[in-house]
Amino acid sequence: MNESAARARDIITGYSGAPLRIMEVCGTHTHEIFRLGLRKLLPPQIDLISGPGCPVCVTAVGFIDEACWLALEKGCIICTFGDLIRVPGTEMSLAGARAKGADIRPVYSPLDAVALAKENPDRQVVFLAVGFETTMPSACLAAKEAKAANLRNFSLLTANKTMPNAYQALIGSADAFLYPGHVNAITGNATCAKLCTEQGVSGVVAGFTASELLTALAVTIRLLEKGEPFFRNCYPRVVRDEGNIAAIRLMNEVMEPCDSEWRGLGMIPGSGMKLRPEYADFDARIKFAMPEITGKPNPACRCGDVLQGKIRPCDCKVFGKGCTPLHPVGACMVSDEGACAAYYQYSGLV
Amino acid sequence: MCVGLSAKVVRVEAGTALIDASGAQREISAGTLENLEPGDFVMVHAGVAIAKITDDDAAEADAVMEELL
Ligand code: SF4
Repeated sequence: MNESAARARDIITGYSGAPLRIMEVCGTHTHEIFRLGLRKLLPPQIDLISGPGCPVCVTAVGFIDEACWLALEKGCIICTFGDLIRVPGTEMSLAGARAKGADIRPVYSPLDAVALAKENPDRQVVFLAVGFETTMPSACLAAKEAKAANLRNFSLLTANKTMPNAYQALIGSADAFLYPGHVNAITGNATCAKLCTEQGVSGVVAGFTASELLTALAVTIRLLEKGEPFFRNCYPRVVRDEGNIAAIRLMNEVMEPCDSEWRGLGMIPGSGMKLRPEYADFDARIKFAMPEITGKPNPACRCGDVLQGKIRPCDCKVFGKGCTPLHPVGACMVSDEGACAAYYQYSGLV
Repeated sequence: MCVGLSAKVVRVEAGTALIDASGAQREISAGTLENLEPGDFVMVHAGVAIAKITDDDAAEADAVMEELL
């Protein structure tokens, strides 16, 4: 640990002021803070709460049902980021669909799904496009490549989400946000800076290494002590104020805003992205004339409250009992980045 | 799915790049970054380089803390 990071650690451990609530919006932050043991450094009056920034966790139940319908009713090959496979739908997860004969393939990148479609011209391949601004450029590149190659057997089932309207929904749930560094690497810092100047919302952009998380937390604590709203970029080696302009252009060329359902939070207007009409041939809902499918979440699951920082995962009645990573009841217990999975993995229960 | 990979660029060719992340090499898309060159460091998400980066988080901590105090 270098001198600056050690100084940051001292600021955190030495804090003795008023109670503070700091929300790590991003699921990867939740996981890394646990993994690096940083929670143990915090004095009791600092409460770190987990936010809704895990795309797997906020994917609506109905989206899983739609994917199962495409796999089982239409015989499509479903390509997906691996974490989605065990997320519960209304009746089954994609793993359950696979047990019934569905062809479900984990991929690292949507571009791998395009390659698979090229190799299997007699099969329909659907990529499940979930994720925030960070993973959206890859889905857009896949759609563009499929269009350029005139691929007739590739489409996207979209549930992409954007952060700005989610921040609006979260205002008041914490004294400061740790903003997700890799979202800002794409979008730039204007939204967060504006939240500060126009609505008095405080936060810092944080990276993911021990040094970056320590400095982000120390800066947050020091500036909260000063009592003025603030915004700081604590991840300048990756995040520029203007973001990735070519990626923003690409997203706006291929996709457009839409309303989007967040698991547990409900419908947030303008918080999603869907393919533009020029890409309708690559929109699985249009291509397969999908009926309206509405999912029913398990009533025992309190993911919604966890994702808004209203309760801790261990306050959920089924945490660690009926709901474990092997038998997840809700999405937050599935993904490594989910708050319930992180609490389970690092709370001495395993 | 959201974990980023920081990696060194080995080769760049027509919109794609070969990267090396701690010894593991793979082809990724460099479609959203201009002027990428061998030797650059990048942050990769879902097979796409999303940002050119520096690889030194200690220098970053120095700069961020300097500004704070
Ligand atoms: S412990 Fe399981 S059921 Fe409870 S909120 Fe978390 S994911 Fe949902």
